[in-house]
Amino acid sequence: MLFWVLAALLTLAAALAVMRPFLRRKKSDRPGAAHDLAVYRDQLAELDQEVKRGLVSETDAAEARAEIGRRILRLSQSASDGVASESGGRLERIIAIAAILAVPALSWGLYSALGSPGLPSMPLQARLNGDPAHAPLEDLIARAEAYLADHPDDARGWETLAPVYARMGRFADAVAAYRRTIAIAGANSEREAGLGEAMVGQSGGIITAEAEAAFNRALAADESNPRARFFIGLARAQEGKRDASRAIWQDMMSGLPDDSPWKAAAAQAIAGLDGMAAQNPPVAAKNPSEEQLAAAQQMAPEERQQMIKGMVASLDAKLRQNPNDPEGWSRLLRSYVVLGREDDAVRALERGLAALGPETAEGKSLSELAETLGISGAQVNK
Amino acid sequence: MSVELGHFALVLALALALVQAIVPLVGARIGSSSLMRVGEPVTITGFALVSVAFAALVLAYLQSDFSVVNVWENSHSAKPLLFKITGTWGNHEGSMLLWVLILAFFGALVAAFGQNLPPTLKANVLAVQGLIASAFLLFILFTSNPFMRLEPAPIEGQDLNPILQDIGLAVHPPLLYLGYVGFSVSFSFAVAALIDGRMDAAWARWVRPWTLAAWAFLTGGIAMGSYWAYYELGWGGFWFWDPVENASLMPWLAGTALLHSAIVMEKRSALKIWTVLLAILTFSLSLLGTFLVRSGVLTSVHSFATDPARGVFILAILVFFIGGALTLFAVRAASLAPGGLFHPISREGALVLNNLFLTTATATVLIGTLYPLLIEAISDNKISVGAPFFNLTFIPLFLPLLVAVPFGPLLAWKRGDLAGAFQRLQFAFWAAGATAIAGYFLIDRASAVAALGLGLGIWLIVGALTDLALKSGLGKVGVAVALRRLTGLPLSIFGTCLGHAGLGLSVLGIVSVTALQAEHILTMQPGQSTEISGYTVQFQNLRPFTGQNYTEEQAQFAAGTVRGGSLGEIVSSKRLYTARGMPTTEAGIKTIGLSQLYISIGDQTPSGLVVRIWWKPFVTLIWIGALVMMAGGFISLMDRRLRVGAPARRKAAALAGEAKS
Repeated sequence: MLFWVLAALLTLAAALAVMRPFLRRKKSDRPGAAHDLAVYRDQLAELDQEVKRGLVSETDAAEARAEIGRRILRLSQSASDGVASESGGRLERIIAIAAILAVPALSWGLYSALGSPGLPSMPLQARLNGDPAHAPLEDLIARAEAYLADHPDDARGWETLAPVYARMGRFADAVAAYRRTIAIAGANSEREAGLGEAMVGQSGGIITAEAEAAFNRALAADESNPRARFFIGLARAQEGKRDASRAIWQDMMSGLPDDSPWKAAAAQAIAGLDGMAAQNPPVAAKNPSEEQLAAAQQMAPEERQQMIKGMVASLDAKLRQNPNDPEGWSRLLRSYVVLGREDDAVRALERGLAALGPETAEGKSLSELAETLGISGAQVNK
Repeated sequence: MSVELGHFALVLALALALVQAIVPLVGARIGSSSLMRVGEPVTITGFALVSVAFAALVLAYLQSDFSVVNVWENSHSAKPLLFKITGTWGNHEGSMLLWVLILAFFGALVAAFGQNLPPTLKANVLAVQGLIASAFLLFILFTSNPFMRLEPAPIEGQDLNPILQDIGLAVHPPLLYLGYVGFSVSFSFAVAALIDGRMDAAWARWVRPWTLAAWAFLTGGIAMGSYWAYYELGWGGFWFWDPVENASLMPWLAGTALLHSAIVMEKRSALKIWTVLLAILTFSLSLLGTFLVRSGVLTSVHSFATDPARGVFILAILVFFIGGALTLFAVRAASLAPGGLFHPISREGALVLNNLFLTTATATVLIGTLYPLLIEAISDNKISVGAPFFNLTFIPLFLPLLVAVPFGPLLAWKRGDLAGAFQRLQFAFWAAGATAIAGYFLIDRASAVAALGLGLGIWLIVGALTDLALKSGLGKVGVAVALRRLTGLPLSIFGTCLGHAGLGLSVLGIVSVTALQAEHILTMQPGQSTEISGYTVQFQNLRPFTGQNYTEEQAQFAAGTVRGGSLGEIVSSKRLYTARGMPTTEAGIKTIGLSQLYISIGDQTPSGLVVRIWWKPFVTLIWIGALVMMAGGFISLMDRRLRVGAPARRKAAALAGEAKS
């Protein structure tokens, strides 16, 4: 309502501005020639000033005066344009009324077509103060972020937000939030394990050395942490040490209570190992991180894919420079298999074997890994 | 509500602008003084309404009101306060609104302070201003409306382009627009004179200050833009000849020509028709500049698929104003009374020469800027017309002009004495020659061109000062008398001197950086140090830093002289703006006297951090010179006298030694 009152007032002010010359009769204007004459008079006066200051010599000033004098003469000859009429004619009145009416008609007509008068302003504060029950998850996160921007040292806030980020596939933010929590409130087993899991999500399911270090720290703080144990098992599986990973997961199966989600995850992972042995699929344990990976790929598939590609490519490049790195070759091989790039994996195996020598101990273990991953030596040979 | 009120005020401003464009014009035609007077209050009210609209948009940015599409697209709640405000015009829609705000402001100034203007002239001028305002308001409301809403409002915005998150955005566009739009007043006066078919004596008196103000703002705007590009883009260049820069250079060149021809107009009532044409051309180039920046006139026509309405609208505005004004000029110019006569060797003649060179230079820049766009539009081939083209065309055209500059103020009106001017410039000539020779032998024997360039800079500066010395009678009268006379000189003479000397300073800076700068690219490990032009730079360490809305890797360098003196720390960084995930480089700059050490960092490699170090001797003179020119413009503007140029008498040509103002 207030909006319409103000809009009406503005319109009234605008219409009054158009009306003003008709409401107040001004004294009659001087004709154009009179204005010109005034300018020339000013010029003559100015000339005298300059002579007085010594900027213009008297002789030059005389010439200038003569010039101005000639202009004044010409002016009086042509001063025939009359004074503009003051008394309004019919035409004037019609134009005036049309102009005054045009202001509200145009503005209200156009505004009704373009504007959204019913929509209130929505400053950040108003949006943050809205009812949280109706807000979508993104908004809730944004509110928490806004709160944390003002209270960056609130460890509880960061700790709450971190797993939410991870669930939404915002792994980089999750990693940052876990790091922040650890920096403020110190490390504990759960936080380190969460950090590791977020890192695994960030690298698209591959357990990087950094992530493994985080899981190891988690286990050092609490050796029964199921999340950390599960991922350490997965790390072994990704390295091709299936027996080691089976041992870890079976240990979890026997030790964990039945309602623990990690027990089920371990069972599934073992089943995955068995299935892999039978059909040679890539490392395909159905586990929480896989689900998150899928979610992540829904969130921002291109970016994520791009990031993983970049990591793998940089590893590939490093191995080109320094090929004597058996650990690196097995990681590269695994990465290509996880990404489903069989051809690249085969090529990596060829290069790795060439670099390490097929008959050395490292070369043999790489070949073994390749077999467990489903890349046969036959493919290499052809 | 404030957003919608701003939207409504803008619509209302359009209605008033239409009234302003039509009613005073009709009034002047039918001779109704009341209708003519409508222009005045309507213009002022229109300015108030556009201000309300602009304030509403700024408020929306301040409050991060993402229910406004424009705010959501270009802001973020974590942005620092200053950039929330400047972000208002850091995008197409907002900058158009700023443009119109300035247009309305200038219109209101004419309305408020034009009391002594002949009523017909005033009515016509305000009507033309109203016409321009109407066109832009229509363009804004129908193709680039900053008040479009979003329902429901997103919680977070998309952030402003990080390159624009800089103090430069607070200064550069407003100054540039004050310049562009300031020329609209000269344009309106020119068109008003053409509509009327006559030029009042007051015409020239009014056009010069407007041109001067616009020119001074534009000078500052261009200089600021150049410095911004210099430190923000991290390439260490101050001018790239890219279309956006050329777009602002063209109105500046034409505006400089207009400024000088307006002087002849005001003082001698000569060159009237030419001045009218220049006023039209200058504003036309300003319009072109305004739109070229918006991804280009031709490109916007070319990309019909993305936004046909905008491209067609822009083209229509350009055709209407440029074509319309030139047509009017063709029809009406003959009816304007030609002005006084003068000899080729005279102040007027010198100013005509200036105009010829400046307009030709403008034409070369125009060709170099539009030709690639044309080729691209027609054939889909991308060609690039860069520095080599402009070095071959623009610079040879500009050099003789620079050589001629000091002569202008020393020639008498109507009939000048070239030999006398030569004689009086002797000192400047020797000073310039000595600089060139010293430069050649002492600094750099490799480049005679650079030495001549330095000499040219000194020639301009000393030449400008010579004018002051002569006008105060230094050498002829005692020092005390000369000083008294100097302080008594009209401000506009100081303005001329500063304008020309500033040009000389800029030339010095440009020549010295182009010819004498040193560049060093290397990889550095922490602790490693290197030498450049007598200075040492030591890379200390790389450390992370978190700002309000970005994170960065800061490389710290310690600068010192070879002899062991310390010059303090230089920090150069690679920044990542988190909202857009966009990286920028922040150059580290240390100003030493008038020169600068400029460091920008690249990637980390196994052998260390890639570091580019430049030594830029006297680089700041480029922008200091521009600021001096700008100051000259404003000082000249403060000279509110009515100026008359007294012509030299035929027989008394020798007496012209006493120069006139």
